[in-house]
Amino acid sequence: MPKPFQGRDRRGLLKTGVILGATALVPGLAAAQGGAKRYSGVTLNVSTFSAAYPKLLQQWLPEFEALTGAKVNFDAPSFPVYNQRADLELSTRGSAYDVVNVTFIYSSRWINSGWLTPLDDYIRNANLTPADFDIDDFLPGARAPETGRDGRLYGIPWTAEALLTASSRFDLVEKAGLAFPDTTDDLVKVLRAVNKKERVAGFVADNHYGWTFVPYLHAFGGDVFRKAPDDLFPTLDTPEAIAAGEYYANLLKEFGPDGAITYQPDQVTQALKLGRVNFTDAGQLHLAQLGDPATSRTIDTVKFGMVPKGPAGRFPGTAVHGLGIPAGSRQKEAAWAFIQWALSKETTGKAVAAGYGSPARRSDIDSPIFRSKQVINGSDLAGLSLDSIDLAARSGHMKYRTVSVYPQVDQQLNKAIELIVSGQLSARQAFQQAQANSIAELRRAGAAL
Amino acid sequence: MAHAVSASGWQIERHRSFLIGLSPSLIVLLLITLVPAAALVMTSFTPLQLTDPSGTFRFDDPLVNYRQLLHDDRFLASIAVQLKLSASSVAMQTGVGLGLALLLNGKSRVLEGARTAFLIPMVLPPIVVALIWKIMYTPDVSPMHRSLEALGWPVRSLIADPDTALWAIALADTWQWFPFTMLMVLASLQMIPDDPLEAARLDGASRWQLFRHIVLPYIRPVLVVCCLFRLIDSFKAFPLIYVLTNGGPGSVTEVTNYYGFIQAFNFSYWGYASAIATVMLVGVFVLSWLVGRMGWSEHDSR
Repeated sequence: MPKPFQGRDRRGLLKTGVILGATALVPGLAAAQGGAKRYSGVTLNVSTFSAAYPKLLQQWLPEFEALTGAKVNFDAPSFPVYNQRADLELSTRGSAYDVVNVTFIYSSRWINSGWLTPLDDYIRNANLTPADFDIDDFLPGARAPETGRDGRLYGIPWTAEALLTASSRFDLVEKAGLAFPDTTDDLVKVLRAVNKKERVAGFVADNHYGWTFVPYLHAFGGDVFRKAPDDLFPTLDTPEAIAAGEYYANLLKEFGPDGAITYQPDQVTQALKLGRVNFTDAGQLHLAQLGDPATSRTIDTVKFGMVPKGPAGRFPGTAVHGLGIPAGSRQKEAAWAFIQWALSKETTGKAVAAGYGSPARRSDIDSPIFRSKQVINGSDLAGLSLDSIDLAARSGHMKYRTVSVYPQVDQQLNKAIELIVSGQLSARQAFQQAQANSIAELRRAGAAL
Repeated sequence: MAHAVSASGWQIERHRSFLIGLSPSLIVLLLITLVPAAALVMTSFTPLQLTDPSGTFRFDDPLVNYRQLLHDDRFLASIAVQLKLSASSVAMQTGVGLGLALLLNGKSRVLEGARTAFLIPMVLPPIVVALIWKIMYTPDVSPMHRSLEALGWPVRSLIADPDTALWAIALADTWQWFPFTMLMVLASLQMIPDDPLEAARLDGASRWQLFRHIVLPYIRPVLVVCCLFRLIDSFKAFPLIYVLTNGGPGSVTEVTNYYGFIQAFNFSYWGYASAIATVMLVGVFVLSWLVGRMGWSEHDSR
């Protein structure tokens, strides 16, 4: 005689349990979708780049599938590969993807070319979206880059990240009797005092200088464009830009480890985790790894702060990524159900509890569980990040980054810093060259200058 | 006469059978080689860019990309970089491959083992080779830099210095591909008949004279084919540059292939990138034809 809850019976019970559990977790979704299994037989193709949050979503997919009946193929290649694929697919209005990541640097290009679906109607429709989805809970600074020129929302943010300054060996700074650098002048003073102490180089940064250098460009009173997104005339040859370039290149030349201009993000993180380099500016997702007791040798000496203030003020870099629906998708309603599940308060809360370090919902950022995980050796990474995002939303200085022609200028900035650090050109020559090349590239791209 | 006619008829039948037998593979070959190449050339005549899909099939000014290339300093500089990289890496690969093949040409278990060991770099995936050299060229973690420092000869990062970055790429490329030349030359060396070598030895020829007058003429066609293969392949250099230098510092390692990649994948100028690829294709064809015309690949008839 078969025992109860064995074999098929037991599997069936477990399945029902998963559905009931998922429904209990996302009650609004189930109610708004008109009950479970609404999308039986639908296959959704989702693609993002590989990152912590998409990895969690991939683990939790059975929950969504059990809840809605839809089957999900979730593809998450590396960042550049994803962007190339998505750019090609979106530009051809293809239907290969139903949900995509709206990549920060491509957001204006993808949104304003009409390659994505506006989400406002889905959000307003009570049959498709429960009230507790609460779109206003997402940081305004994170929603801004997901909004088109038409004022409509095209992506729901899953990460809002800020560029912060870190010192992996702050003990050396304290030993020198100095505080965490607050200004660009302080930074040089501190680096002079600690550079090469105990064989620790002073400063290094990801060689994507179109991202890591720009806070300094702004801090010195310069900018990338005259007034993005309306006036895209490049302003890379101004005295302020040249001064910023000279200052920044000098940080790498005087205080950088050998081969500083070849460092990529993971190398920078590794160098700081091993205590080979003291200072950097990096995104909080990278910096949070310095608090990993299993791999970080600097967990007890690390300290974080906002990027330094210059003569013109403080301008931290921020980046936002969201989930959107391609214009060519044939399963838009089911795709919205997926986005809504993936970024519901329950799912993002669960992610934060699992250690996710860069949420875009205010309720998650303010939650005690998140705050407790983000305090590393006394530094509140989340607080610093939130202040940076608020600052960026107030000043609007990140608007340069989402214009469709920024990739062309971004590369000119990368080259300009490399040329100065490697001694091929002076700061003036390098930035004048970057200016001339940027103008040529922008004209070629059809930008009205 | 009747016999001659039937023989010729048999020949025609034979050719026809060969053609029928080969036709499926010829059709597949045409589809997978010529069709993409034709698509590339067609695209190069359009202003296609992803942000403006209306340019996909526009042929109103088919030479616009090619005219622009003539005035694109970065493209012209990339050709110079490409030629430097190709010439230096092919020369080094041929020299090292030939030298090691001559040293390892013999019959012993040690030599056999050494021959196998030297083949390893060639069978590694290019991206793995790039990562190996990324470690080698990062002074903080590089065993090469640490050893040199311990010996009192500290060396600055080779890929961050504009004077050495291209050489560093050429060195890594040589490490990966010298086994190809070595393998081909070894095969050729083992085919050299013993008689002329023994005769020359009896006549008192030195080792250099043996190499110069017997071995080299014999292996020359193989060496030329190796150079040609490696030259063509050097135009496809990508993973090493992508991982090690990203075309920098500045533009000192930005080869034509990499510049085309940037135009297509960073800026979305697919028409322009296709024109760059087409120019490279024509360049490689012309180079191959020139090498063939020079007659170096034929055995010395003297």
